Amino acid sequence: MSLKMLKFTLNGEPMEVPVSPSDMLVDVLRDKLELTGTKKGCGEGECGACTVIMNGKAVASCLVPALKAMGAEVETVEGVAKEKAHPVQEAFMDLGAVQCGFCIPGMIMSSKALLDENPKPSKEEIREAISGNICRCTGYVKIEKAVEAAAQKLQERG
Amino acid sequence: MSADKIDFDIVGKSVRRRDAFEKVTGEAVFSTDVKLPGMLYAKVLRSPYPHAKIKKIDISKAEQLPGVKAVAYYGNTPRIKFNTSATMTFTVPHLEPVLDQYVFDDIVRYVGDEVAAVAAVSEEIAQQALKLIEVEYEELPAVYDPLEAMKEEAPHIHTGCKEGKNIPGDIVKIDMGDVEQGFAESDLVIEEMFKVPVQKQVQMETQAAVAQVSREGDITVWSTTQTPHPTRMILSRAFGVPHSKIRVLNPPYVGGGFGVRIGCSAKAEPIAVALAMLAKRPVKVVYTREEDFIASDTRHGGYVWAKLGVKKDGTFHALDLKGVLNAGAYCSFSCETPGVLGAMTLSVYRIPHQKYFGHSVYTNTTPAGAMRGFGNPQGIFALESVVDMVAEKLNIDPLELRLKNIMQVGDPWCLPYPCGATGMAECIEKGAKSIGWDRRGKLNKPGATKVRGIGVAIGSHVSNSWPFCVDYDNAYVTIQQDGSVQVACGVPDIGTGTTTTLPQLAAEELGVRFDMVNMTFGDTASTPFDIGSHASRTLYAAGTAVVAAAKDAKQQVLEYAADLLDVSAEKLDMKDSEVFVAQGSDEKRISLKEIAYHAHLRNKQFIGVGRIVPPNSPTWEAHFAEVEVDLQTGQVKVIKLVGAHDVGKAINPAICEGQIEGGLAMGLGYALSEEIRYNDKGKQQNKSISTYFLPTAEDMPEVEAILVESNDPSGPFGAKGVGETGLVPTAPAIANAVYNATGIRFTEIPLTEERVFFALRNNKKS
Ligand code: FES
Ligand code: FES
Repeated sequence: MSLKMLKFTLNGEPMEVPVSPSDMLVDVLRDKLELTGTKKGCGEGECGACTVIMNGKAVASCLVPALKAMGAEVETVEGVAKEKAHPVQEAFMDLGAVQCGFCIPGMIMSSKALLDENPKPSKEEIREAISGNICRCTGYVKIEKAVEAAAQKLQERG
Repeated sequence: MSADKIDFDIVGKSVRRRDAFEKVTGEAVFSTDVKLPGMLYAKVLRSPYPHAKIKKIDISKAEQLPGVKAVAYYGNTPRIKFNTSATMTFTVPHLEPVLDQYVFDDIVRYVGDEVAAVAAVSEEIAQQALKLIEVEYEELPAVYDPLEAMKEEAPHIHTGCKEGKNIPGDIVKIDMGDVEQGFAESDLVIEEMFKVPVQKQVQMETQAAVAQVSREGDITVWSTTQTPHPTRMILSRAFGVPHSKIRVLNPPYVGGGFGVRIGCSAKAEPIAVALAMLAKRPVKVVYTREEDFIASDTRHGGYVWAKLGVKKDGTFHALDLKGVLNAGAYCSFSCETPGVLGAMTLSVYRIPHQKYFGHSVYTNTTPAGAMRGFGNPQGIFALESVVDMVAEKLNIDPLELRLKNIMQVGDPWCLPYPCGATGMAECIEKGAKSIGWDRRGKLNKPGATKVRGIGVAIGSHVSNSWPFCVDYDNAYVTIQQDGSVQVACGVPDIGTGTTTTLPQLAAEELGVRFDMVNMTFGDTASTPFDIGSHASRTLYAAGTAVVAAAKDAKQQVLEYAADLLDVSAEKLDMKDSEVFVAQGSDEKRISLKEIAYHAHLRNKQFIGVGRIVPPNSPTWEAHFAEVEVDLQTGQVKVIKLVGAHDVGKAINPAICEGQIEGGLAMGLGYALSEEIRYNDKGKQQNKSISTYFLPTAEDMPEVEAILVESNDPSGPFGAKGVGETGLVPTAPAIANAVYNATGIRFTEIPLTEERVFFALRNNKKS
């Protein structure tokens, strides 16, 4: 199959990678770019483990043909912590929201996309934002609390 | 010993998990992330038929496809029978393990059974090659229900079943007192049959393994197993290779377990090894979500009968329990699960006359094996529904009835270990308060179309797997030359926080700073043998080994320090990584760092060894649910769920709560929506996340996890198991709440909208 050069911004840096038209973004990230923080729990858009932020929106990267990311800004879990962990990551760690960890990168990305856009989410908005992310370990209880706490922190920081 | 200590430095604190940082940044490595030089990708050809003989199979076209490096099938893989589950390595000596699987066989016994596998340079090529494998099947008669499968006319799924048609292993029989006499002496006897569904673990990381075979024949397998050491034993048997030439490890993280990989990760490890041997290159096997649904162990569905005899005043007098579970196509844990169902369900209440008869039956469905709760949720759904029926008949408050009959310390029961401590009464009281039990019965206005109800159910569980399985643990606690500490223990961290809590135990026992303790885990090459993470046992059992090893190391340190300080060892103790004189007014002290280096320069290291056979201890839990039932649609909405749990001692309270909260969510799914159904061709109807209906964040009610600490006399610092307990009585608590709301008793779960709708309609008619 003919390869095409995918050019996009990945975690703030320009990136070029040859992909085939049938490649999905999740596989390009995980296999070609070796960014395995993005997980694959179903490959069918049903579990949210592969969530990345594309042009400001949380998307299931297993449903995005890689070439659709041409020219886009893509953020993966590897790009979230800068010098220090992001407040969402801090809150997940502090509030015991992490168990097996397989859903966590997707959860972090869905939560971050929410908070980037809506710094004061209601409980319902938090639930809605992570409703496409399946977690089988936590019952979502501490995850929801962590997102609330992160929102609080971000507001305090202003 | 440790349990009577009350002032703890690190035990009892919700310290941040050791694995949290890696996991929130995506750096944590899982089996599905492993990539080796030259690695091939595997795909598996699975049976489209529920039962068939493979008359002919031709792999030559597949082998010729460019990029294909190996094709494995029954003709070129070992013909050695094994069991993918760890049961074959730890069946207790008076029973025979059931070995009923090959890596590949010439008979397929369920839709999804393995026929062949291909290793190729890419997944796409491996997938294409599957289509080139030519198979001629001769279909055989199939059966899907365990009661049907015992009948004379049913097909034999495996031969050699000594207890009866299609019954694997031994029938479990438990007898105490005389139930017939007990029922004769009872004032009220209630008997009911219950039907329970096939639930799936749906751990977020699907089954996966990467195998590498060296030129010398040494095998390394990275996998999602919950039990690296037993998995090594299984592979050793299946491939006829000595244990010492095999290394099984987690890489190091596992994306959830819930029982689905106690032993092999379905067949991921054996298939990866078989292909790696043929291809002479590393091979990676990752199950798709659909494969994970249809071809890896499920919870047992089946039937439970409960007959309870009580006195007028509500005293329980006799219980006759029977369980027939659907084993599916291969045995896996189908011998042990009925045992736990019986023993746990019988041991919640003090009942002088009790009896249990239970077993599994092979059918042509996906094999059932271990899943969180291991038979207990099935039995408790039956028992706790019947207890609710008794409460109503006798007009006794369901809480009062339970409090009157719950097991007390020292009561006789069928288990070979004592009921050492119980916080059940406290669980019931605290849970009742949280749910607002006194509002019960006053929740609805006449004519309402949505009605509310409150229900309760209680249960117990194990803290490890003895006496149902062989069960022992080893650990090393080694003081490093700089005074830091290395714990080595063969359990994995499947998400339950083991790599945080076991170091907490070691730090506490030694008296060293928590940040000085690190842990090696989940690797057969660097840890001594351990049975693994299952049966809610890791903290309780492996933790006991870690405490024993720490004690041993500490004793060595104190003896060495005694010479340095010129004070007898008995007078010394250690705290904050410093040895000091605990008895008397002597101010002398010396840091562990100095001691360790002093010893190093004199050719000595302190190595503590813990080798223990853990006892066992019952957990206790009371669940409460408030529900709202829409009388027009049949939809059941859970408003609040409370799980009050006696955890003995919460070593890390946040981790304990997390276990309970996750369990409650899974119990909610078991009660309301989760089920794998089959069509009449034996095909699984629910094999994707969107068609299986497990709870999402939006489905969750308000949840409260309450920790009760009874300080168990046998567990490390008073702790007992918690991992599985969060879903043991959830379903009957919800079903009892639905009864309280609607007056309809459901004897079958899940309580789907459809099931409740039809029940409401029939109820109206009658
Ligand atoms: S892997 Fe993309 S949604 Fe599951
Ligand atoms: S932490 Fe395991 S799936 Fe969410």
